[in-house]
Amino acid sequence: MEYVIEAKHLTKDYGDKRGIFDLNFSIKKGEVFGFVGTNGSGKTTTIRHIMGFLKAQKGSVTVMGLDSWKNSCEIKKYVEYVPGEIAFPDLKDGNTFLKAQAELLNLKSMDYANYLVDKLQLDPSANLKRMSKGMKQKTAIVAAFMADKDIIILDEANTGLDPLMRETFTEILLDEKKKGKTILMSSQSFDELEQVCDRVALIFNGHIIDIADMKDIKESKFKDFKIEFLSREEYLKFKRLKYEVVRDQEKYNQVTIKVKDSDVNRLFRTLKNYHLKFMSEVKYNLEKYFKSVLAKEYLRQEEELKRAKEKDISEKTKAEIKQEKHENKLHAKKVSEEEKSEKFFNKPKHKQEKRENKKQIKEIKSIKKEVLKSDRKYKKIIKKIDKGGKDVQ
Amino acid sequence: MFSKALFKQSMKANWVKWVMATASTCIMLAIVIIVLGNLGINNIRDQLKEVFTQADQQSYLKTSSIDSYDLYLNAVDFENGMVMLDESNMDMASLLWGYVTRGYDNALSSYQPADPEAELTEEDYEIIRNNAVDSVYDQIIGLLDMFPQYAEDFNFTETELKQLLYFMMLTYEDNPDFTGGEATNEKVISAIKTRFLDYVQDNAYATALSQEDATEETALASAMSARELASDAFDSYDDQKASAETDGGTFVYDNDNFKTLANDYVNNMIYNQVLTSFTLGSDGDLSEEEQAEAEQMAVASKVMSNTAITTYEFWIKELTTDEDGLPLDLTDEQLAQAYAQAREEATKSITDQIDAEVSKALEELGNMDIYSLIIGSIFYRIAGLLMPMVFVIMTANGLLAGQVDSGSMAYVLSTPTKRRTVTVTQMTYLIVSLFAMFALLTITSVIAVWISGGNAFAINYEQILLFNLGAFLTMFAIAGFCFMCSALFNRTKYSLGIGGGVTIFSLVCTILGLFGSTVVPSAMRISAMNFFNYLSVITLYDTVSIMAGSLAYLWKFAILLGIGIVCFIVGIFRFDKKDLPL
Repeated sequence: MEYVIEAKHLTKDYGDKRGIFDLNFSIKKGEVFGFVGTNGSGKTTTIRHIMGFLKAQKGSVTVMGLDSWKNSCEIKKYVEYVPGEIAFPDLKDGNTFLKAQAELLNLKSMDYANYLVDKLQLDPSANLKRMSKGMKQKTAIVAAFMADKDIIILDEANTGLDPLMRETFTEILLDEKKKGKTILMSSQSFDELEQVCDRVALIFNGHIIDIADMKDIKESKFKDFKIEFLSREEYLKFKRLKYEVVRDQEKYNQVTIKVKDSDVNRLFRTLKNYHLKFMSEVKYNLEKYFKSVLAKEYLRQEEELKRAKEKDISEKTKAEIKQEKHENKLHAKKVSEEEKSEKFFNKPKHKQEKRENKKQIKEIKSIKKEVLKSDRKYKKIIKKIDKGGKDVQ
Repeated sequence: MFSKALFKQSMKANWVKWVMATASTCIMLAIVIIVLGNLGINNIRDQLKEVFTQADQQSYLKTSSIDSYDLYLNAVDFENGMVMLDESNMDMASLLWGYVTRGYDNALSSYQPADPEAELTEEDYEIIRNNAVDSVYDQIIGLLDMFPQYAEDFNFTETELKQLLYFMMLTYEDNPDFTGGEATNEKVISAIKTRFLDYVQDNAYATALSQEDATEETALASAMSARELASDAFDSYDDQKASAETDGGTFVYDNDNFKTLANDYVNNMIYNQVLTSFTLGSDGDLSEEEQAEAEQMAVASKVMSNTAITTYEFWIKELTTDEDGLPLDLTDEQLAQAYAQAREEATKSITDQIDAEVSKALEELGNMDIYSLIIGSIFYRIAGLLMPMVFVIMTANGLLAGQVDSGSMAYVLSTPTKRRTVTVTQMTYLIVSLFAMFALLTITSVIAVWISGGNAFAINYEQILLFNLGAFLTMFAIAGFCFMCSALFNRTKYSLGIGGGVTIFSLVCTILGLFGSTVVPSAMRISAMNFFNYLSVITLYDTVSIMAGSLAYLWKFAILLGIGIVCFIVGIFRFDKKDLPL
């Protein structure tokens, strides 16, 4: 069994372009796999499919080789889950809940649960309804993790935790990773994903746009440095050197350059002769990476949309004009016939109609013009975003 | 298929609701039964019922007074005829006997029944008698025309003569050879008199037997007293005649003269009868108090009898005479009608004097069983179901839809627990909790009935057990429906809205339908409201059938059980296959 979790052409269409479409990914044993994406992009839906709560319309998800819908009970022997929405059963306090959960899990020992409680500094004797969001999140984490199963699925498990607790939680995750567990987590926090994940998938509007390997990002061969010079002369002088400038802030005598790892020494040697105000490395991280990917995706989609619209409009216009011409012809024919019998009355009427037709054609043309105009505007925006993307890179 | 941990969890989540619903319903039920059992809520009803029984009794008393009075006067008339026959110059009775026997034989031989093969029935004989009476009567009138000198002695009206002839026919029919040779005047007269008394006796017996709650014994007694009355009437005629003639005067018969005598006689007879009935009712010995009561009743009855007869006479006078007291010229039919009307007026009771519909409504009110109405139709079908319903609506929703909607179901389903296990466990919890609730309710009701007098209470143990079973089955069906809604929908608002909505709608329809159902007396009933009963599942819980002891409730129970089972199964299967937003 090569893959622990494997999704093939997983599709669930809720209509209105919502849902998930043709997702394919696979997670190896011991791998930590992350999901990022904007709200409503389909992370939770994907996780629900993996848990066997939803039935796929097309494709399938397997967990440990078992279809997660058909064997939804079997796979739970391997999977522990922290749901995104925290709502506990109607029980008195945290202890009662954890005990009930342990009973459902057939747990003999609460040792690991107690360890987690201590580690997360959770007071499980508190009333479940009166717990703060962070407390609830901790309780949910303990309830899931205490089973100590092989696969951990987390749906935005660190929301509501204070920064210190986030660190603790990340520690716990790293511990689990060390134990060789397979983890699938969705998160809004790039930091967390960066620290824990081996691979991260970006989901956008129900599609996986990109799966990034953290190794590649972490071990990027380029570094960005932000440098501010004390004097303008030196700033200008530096700019003349052939470094790749990513961002230039003339106002502050500031420049951000991209340097190959092998060129770092050369840079420092160069800078020896300059007076700097400060210099810092701008880390190349997941967030930046995905922002650029996302920007590209936006562009692509909007362009697509644009093209479709344009095509639509031009086709429509062509058809309309054709139709009108045809109608006019017919009309003219009809009118000429009528003219023969009733010359006097029909002539002016005919002219007027012709004029109206012309007017309509003009209107259509002006609409077309406007569309083209907005298109140009659009291209400008796209260019800007392009720049931004470069900035990131 | 069953998770003990989940069952415990459901118990912990819902026990407060359960305790509230159970305790409040048990308390309500105990109070209803015990209070009703000790307040004597049926007193008013009993009084009303008493009024109606009394009215019936009074009506009966009055009727029998007038019957006796009529009989007395009739007997006096008859005796007068006999005396006339006896005192006539020729052996009139013997003469008539000859005509009667011949006339009857002729009528019998000439009678052609519809079916010649069959034996003659009493109706056939009645026709033969009447034919014979008519022909003999015609012969006698012919004779009197020929010999007017006899007409003086033969002072009969047509009715009287025909009646006389009729009795002679009866006598002849029963015993053609009674004379044992020559039919002398005396023999014939005594035979007819005996036959008259027999006739009176038979008639009274038949009438008495046709009464409600008549026994052989009472019928015999009233037959004997009728015979005695007729015979006493004969004697009183003879006494009057004798006392008139001792002073050398002549006795002129007038039926009116005997009216006072008849009235007194009947009054005394009633008085004695009531006294005797009291003595018979007790075991012979009456305490002073009882004696006084008997005396009081007897006097009251006597007065009532007197009033009835006086009224009767008044109405006869009113209907058969003009303003100057002269008799109106009435046909026999009109006369009979007048007498019947007079009798009706004289025997009217309270209930006859009010409008028939109102009277019926009042009587129904008297017959209404307030216990079964309040305990069966109001408590078990409405008030007692409300709290269990609230429990079921809330719990059924909380067991599935509520947990799916909030997302807490995820914790159960992320453990190796099948969806089927969840539904079956939750269903088990719902059914077991309902069962426990109604088990406690049953115990409470049985204890309450025991306190209120056990089987002597208006509702016996068997009925109260059936009430509880029915209520449980009704709630089972409703629980099934609510559970199904909970399993079908992911959102609490739909599950509660439809499950709870339909349930409460059913209850409200039952409340409205109560005003159209037959358990409510017609005075308060609006039959159009019965329509609501067709909209409610609770209608299948037939408390009326349980109280009446018919078995109609059984198949309705079966339907309730069926509804519940089907709903639970649909819910369980659907939950297996649907998407859960967890």
